[in-house]
Amino acid sequence: MIALQLAISGIATGSVYALIALGIVLIYKCSGVVNFAQGAYAMLGAYVTYALLKLGLPALLAVLFGMALMALAGMATERLILRRMLKAQIVSVMMVTLGLLIFFRAFCLAIWGPDQIAFPQVFPSGSIDFAGIFITYNYLAAFALATTLSVAFLLFYRHTSIGLMQRCAADNPRAALAIGIHVSNQVSIAWAASAALAGLGGALLATLGGLSLNISDIGLIAFPVIVVGGLESLAGALIAGFLLGMLEAFTEGMLSPAIEEFLRGFTTIQSVGALQQVIPYGLLVLMLLVRPQGIFGRAGTERV
Amino acid sequence: MTTRQILLALALAILFAAIGYNSGRFWAYLIYAVAIAGIGALSLNLLIGFCGQITFAQGALIGVGAYSAAIAGNAGWGGFSLLVAGVVTALVSLLIGLPALRLRGLYFAISTLAAQFILVYFFKILQPLTNGVSGLVVKPLTLFGRPVANDQEYVVICIAILFLSWLFLARITRTDMGRAFLVVRESELVARGMGIDVSRAKAQAFLLSGFFAGICGALFAFTSRLANPEAFEIALSVDQTAMIIVGGLGSLTGSIVGAAFVTLLPEAIERLGEFLPVAGLVSAFREMAFGLLIILFLLLEPRGLVAFVRRLAARWSGKAKAPAKRAPAKTSNRAVTAQDGR
Repeated sequence: MIALQLAISGIATGSVYALIALGIVLIYKCSGVVNFAQGAYAMLGAYVTYALLKLGLPALLAVLFGMALMALAGMATERLILRRMLKAQIVSVMMVTLGLLIFFRAFCLAIWGPDQIAFPQVFPSGSIDFAGIFITYNYLAAFALATTLSVAFLLFYRHTSIGLMQRCAADNPRAALAIGIHVSNQVSIAWAASAALAGLGGALLATLGGLSLNISDIGLIAFPVIVVGGLESLAGALIAGFLLGMLEAFTEGMLSPAIEEFLRGFTTIQSVGALQQVIPYGLLVLMLLVRPQGIFGRAGTERV
Repeated sequence: MTTRQILLALALAILFAAIGYNSGRFWAYLIYAVAIAGIGALSLNLLIGFCGQITFAQGALIGVGAYSAAIAGNAGWGGFSLLVAGVVTALVSLLIGLPALRLRGLYFAISTLAAQFILVYFFKILQPLTNGVSGLVVKPLTLFGRPVANDQEYVVICIAILFLSWLFLARITRTDMGRAFLVVRESELVARGMGIDVSRAKAQAFLLSGFFAGICGALFAFTSRLANPEAFEIALSVDQTAMIIVGGLGSLTGSIVGAAFVTLLPEAIERLGEFLPVAGLVSAFREMAFGLLIILFLLLEPRGLVAFVRRLAARWSGKAKAPAKRAPAKTSNRAVTAQDGR
C-alpha cells in the first residue's frame, strides 16, 4: 500500500521532471551546450507565474503568459550570451551556464526573498480516494498537464515542419545550412522551447511543494539521470524524468528509513540525510563505468 | 621562469606577509583567505588549464583535505597533518580521476560532479569521523611544538606555502611531465603518437592537483577552526573555477590574481552595501555580481586577467604590434565546431 502511494507521487513529480529534462536534451542536441541553468529557468518560471497570479490573472492565462515570458528569456540568453561563445571551450560554456544559474537565483532572492512562499491554489483542492490510496487533485493535474505537454512536444518535434527543421539542425548543422535552414534561428527556438517547458515545470513543482529558490536544484539533480537516459535522446529524457521521480519517492519513503534502521544496529550514525538527492549520482557513476553513452544514447556521442 | 621572476615573486610574498603580519585581524584575514584560495586555484589550474581535465569536484577535494587535516591535527600530529591532508586528498583525487581513463570532456566533467555530491554527502553522514552537519571543531595548528597563536602568524604560514606551491608547480610545468600535460590537453591522439603514456600523465596530474587541493583544505580548516560540509558544497567548486577563468586558464600567476579578485570582490561589495540602505539585499547583490562576473569575463575576456594585463602592457610599451584581431567565426552553430573536433 505504501509502495503504491509512493509510486503515484513519484510518477506525478517524475512527469514534471521529465518536462524539465526534455529541455536540457533539446538544447544539448541542437547546440551542444550542457545547460546547467535549466533549473534556474524552472525556478524563474515558477516565480514569474506566481507574480502573474498575484496580479489577478486567471490561472490559465498566468501559466501561458509565464511560459511566453520564459520563452523570451530563453531566447534572449541564447542570443546575448551563448551565441557569442560558439568557439569557446567546453569548460567555458559549462561555467557560463553555471554563472546564469547563480545570477538568476540571486535575482529571485533579491525580488522575492529567501523564504518559501505558499503557491496560490491553481487546481481545485481535495483528493480522490481510490481503494485507500489518496491522490490529490494537485498531483493529478500536474501529472496530466506535464504528460500531455511532453507528448504534444514530442509529436510536434516529429510531425511539423519546424520540428523537422529542428531535427535537421540537430542532426547535421552543415547539411542543414546547405539546404537553407537557418540553423542559428533553430537554436534560438530550441532555447525558447526549453525555457518555456522548464518554466511550466517549475510552476507545477511549486503547486506540489511550495515556491522557493530550491526549485533551481532540480537542474543539477536531474542531470545525472539524463545522462543515464542518454544526453541525445528525447525519449530517454522522458523516461529519465519518471525514473528520477520514482527513485526520489522510494528512497525518501522506504530506502532511507530501512538503511537508517540497519545502521543504528551497529554504528552511531543516526540519519542518512538527503539520500534521495545523492542516489541519482551513485546511479550515474555505475552507468558511466558500464555504458557511458547512456541506455538510449548512441555510442560515440562523447565530445572529444 | 627566470631568476628575476622568482626573486620578484619572493619579494611580493615577503611584502604581503609583512603587511599582513603588522596589520589588524581583518586585513590579516583577507590576505590569508586570498593565499589559501590561491593554493586551491593553482591546483585546479594544473588540472583544467594545463592537463585539460575539467573537474567540478574541487570543492569536495578541499573538503577532504580539511577533514583529514582536522582529524590528524586534533590527534596531535602537528605540522605533519598538512602533509597527511595532502597525501589523503591526492589519493582521493586519483580515485575521482579514474573515470578519466575512459571518459573525456563533458562526460568526465559530469562524473566529477557526481563525485562532488557524493563526497559532500559523506561529510554529512559519516558522523563518527566528521561530526556530521554541525561540523568538526579544529584545534589550532601546532608548528615546532607550539600552537600558532593568531591570524597574523597564519598570514606568514599561508603566504610561505603559497609561494612554495607556486614555485614547485611553475617548475613542474617546465619539466617533461608538465609538457606532457599540455600535449594531453591539446590532443590525446597526438600525445600517444609522441610516445606519451596518457593514462600515466593524467594520473600524475590528478595526484599533484589533489595534493595541493588538500594543503589548501588543511589551511582552510586550521584558519577557520571549523570543518563543516556546507563550506565544501558545489559553490566552492564554482568559486574555484571562476578564479582560474578570471585569472586565465593555463596561467599559474593568473590563478593567484584570479583568487584575489574572486575573494575580494564579495568583501568589497559587502563594504559598499553597508553604506547603502539595502542591508537585506547585500547578499543577493553579491551573488548577482558574482554570476555577472563569470558571464562577462567569459564573453569579453575569455583568456582572463593575465591576457588583459599583457595586452595593456604591450600597448603601453608600444613594442608589440596591436593585438591580432580574432578571425571572424565562420560557422554560426556551436555544434559544427563540436563535430569538427570529434
